[in-house]
Amino acid sequence: MSDEIRMLTDAVGAIMTDRCQPGDVGAAEAAGWAPRLWDALAEAGFPWIAVDEAVGGTGGSMAEACAMLMTAGTFAAPLPLVETGLLAGWALAAVGSSIPPGPVTAAPSGPDLQLLRDGATWRLTGRLYRVPWASHCARLVTIVGTSDGEFVLALDPARGTITPGRNLAGEPRDTVAFDQLAVGPDEIWPAPAGVSARALLLRGALGRAALMAGALSRVSSLTLRYTSERQQFGRPVARFQAVQQHLVRIAEEATLTEMAVRTAAANSRPDPLDFDVAATKTVAGQAATTVAAAAHEAHGAIGMTREYELGQLTRRLWSWRDEYGSERYWSRQLGQRLIGNGAEQLWPALSVGVQP
Amino acid sequence: MEFELATLSPSERALQDEVRTFLAKTLPSDFRPGLGIAAPHDPSFSTLLAEQGWVGMAIPVEYGGQGRTAVERFVVTEELMAAGAPIGAHYVADRQTAPALLKYGTEQQRRQFLPPIAAGECWFSLGMSEPDAGSDLASVRTTARPADGGWSVTGTKIWTSNAHLNQYFVVLCRTAPLGEDRHAGLSQLIVDLRAPGVKINPIPFLDGSHHFNEVVLDGVFVAHDMVLGEPGSGWGQVTSELSYERSGPDRYLSTMPVVREFVRAFGGDGASARRSAGAEVYEAVGAITARLWAIRQLSLSVARSLDAGAAPAVESALVKDLGTCFEQLSIELMRLAMPSPLGEIGELDPAGDSMLERLLAETVLTGPSFTLRGGTTEILRSVAAKGLGR
Ligand SMILES: Cc1cc2nc3c(=O)[nH]c(=O)nc-3n(C[C@H](O)[C@H](O)[C@H](O)COP(=O)(O)OP(=O)(O)OC[C@H]3O[C@@H](n4cnc5c(N)ncnc54)[C@H](O)[C@@H]3O)c2cc1C
Repeated sequence: MSDEIRMLTDAVGAIMTDRCQPGDVGAAEAAGWAPRLWDALAEAGFPWIAVDEAVGGTGGSMAEACAMLMTAGTFAAPLPLVETGLLAGWALAAVGSSIPPGPVTAAPSGPDLQLLRDGATWRLTGRLYRVPWASHCARLVTIVGTSDGEFVLALDPARGTITPGRNLAGEPRDTVAFDQLAVGPDEIWPAPAGVSARALLLRGALGRAALMAGALSRVSSLTLRYTSERQQFGRPVARFQAVQQHLVRIAEEATLTEMAVRTAAANSRPDPLDFDVAATKTVAGQAATTVAAAAHEAHGAIGMTREYELGQLTRRLWSWRDEYGSERYWSRQLGQRLIGNGAEQLWPALSVGVQP
Repeated sequence: MEFELATLSPSERALQDEVRTFLAKTLPSDFRPGLGIAAPHDPSFSTLLAEQGWVGMAIPVEYGGQGRTAVERFVVTEELMAAGAPIGAHYVADRQTAPALLKYGTEQQRRQFLPPIAAGECWFSLGMSEPDAGSDLASVRTTARPADGGWSVTGTKIWTSNAHLNQYFVVLCRTAPLGEDRHAGLSQLIVDLRAPGVKINPIPFLDGSHHFNEVVLDGVFVAHDMVLGEPGSGWGQVTSELSYERSGPDRYLSTMPVVREFVRAFGGDGASARRSAGAEVYEAVGAITARLWAIRQLSLSVARSLDAGAAPAVESALVKDLGTCFEQLSIELMRLAMPSPLGEIGELDPAGDSMLERLLAETVLTGPSFTLRGGTTEILRSVAAKGLGR
């Protein structure tokens, strides 16, 4: 790990240690928002890492953004950090629009959302589903395809109808519906080169995978600690080989996911590569399933309580593994692409690793 | 535990290309790829490879080797495994015996063995396991008694891969009676597999091939100068030796040639046997490659840290466990995704028409060994568990 990344991780970790303890996460789940944590992170500019300084971002690389997200994931940070910086900040910077000061959410658009030209104005109709923290954000960024190409939209979600929802971890995932909404000229831009709905999805998937890597490593240390403290049959349960197998499997999957995220982030210039994201989100999704199961088994009943920290992490892993595409979605994409390229290109593609 | 992100340098990438091009030229297009370290024993291939400087890469130049780094060796090994090259003759000597000779051998042993190992002409087997000593290696019973000018060795070794083809094996045995400390009194001896008193009995492998042997030693004479390291220091040597062999490319690429055939069967360049790929085929290929890609980064990271002088024992146990379990998983993913030529209900034909079917059948039959050889999953996880808290 480079010194800059270590310093960044330490600085983010210090804020989290102060303001994102399991009690704070529980309170945020109840209230839907974590204002103290947001304020401190925003003050330091952390949500806008890897967003161009020219438009008010913090600057820095994808590797730094992912390092910040991994630390956030370790603490189950209940905030739209991926959306504010990696997605909305990136798209806004690309169209040259300045970054709003507060949290901004973003969502991949689907077939249920239509942007149609009506004389000189664009009108937006349809729905965006499971938008993170829509009701707490002043702007919602999405990228929509039309017969004239793709457009970047940045709207106040309150201009639509927000139906609140939650994911398995109690994080707000709202539905936002629009009905013939007239989009103002300062809310829409033709998508510049490199900015597309696909690119947004790739960034979202890598960002989630980074959060997952953090959560996985925290599950690993938590399970290690608990099983070395919990005594049964006169000794710590971590002394039983069957329990050790769980501990090792958990550590392996966490390590593997972190390595995948770091590799994909290192290859981002500044956007992550299709191959890397597909592989990383696949690995992260598989890991989430394995690790959550093993960690709950090793914890026994205490892990099934709402108070204990494990559940805050595993409930997020169970949501995050599906958000921005499950391991099934991404492994199919990856497989289709590799099969299309043919057998002789398979090993060369796999053995690139970190690109020079 | 720490895994640094490792990148191949331009010269390492050039080496990768060079090996890849060489293999594409050298291996016949219709050849049946070998599966990892179980690939065929082909002395002419080993010699040819040595001529390129790709055997004995970790051996210093003064002993006939190339004095290259662990990462360079990693790069070459990966290409060999990915292609399914017939590395069976030299591979164990190269990976395991040469580093042990360098670390513990006498000057005379190094001069005698290292140059022919680097030339791909001197092949070793490993004489560790016995009928009653598997994971618990310290319980070996093979015994060496002092004899005029050396030792007289008696006992039975088992599961000795390729003993019927190789020239030597390194035997772990007792040179002093079992005492309070069961790890004391063990030594490693270099034994000529053709010496009087050595009897090699084949043990047919699960797929019917000849890979395993029982090697019976009956009063075999071993001269003093064939003791590897000091008499009595065998335990420390084998345990450190075990870590060299743990996390290299041979731990996650055993099924790579099969994966390639799988892609060929459905893919753009599979003109002959093209089948239409469904979602489950895509998913299998994606799941396999995603995991392989990430495990490879970990293994490369271990190689890089070896070059930096670290001794990543826990890290390599972890990578070996991930890698070998992945190899087994890849077989099942392919098996379930592959439409049988017979329709919905069908089975693998080991003599089937396609290379894919034949290779997949071979992996089903040999796959269980991936997580046994070189230390079982259970033993590796015990090693890793001890290191986790640190
Ligand atoms: C293809 C192949 C090639 C081989 N080639 C060679 C060779 O060339 N030379 C050589 O010397 N050996 C060779 N071996 C042997 C190999 O090293 C042993 O198979 C291995 O060390 C395990 O020993 P075992 O088979 O006796 O199993 P055992 O040790 O009898 O183990 C049986 C089961 O018990 C478990 N077990 C044992 N002890 C523990 C413990 N403490 N905690 C938890 N679980 C435990 C094991 O994990 C396993 O599941 C080869 C094996 C294979 C499969």
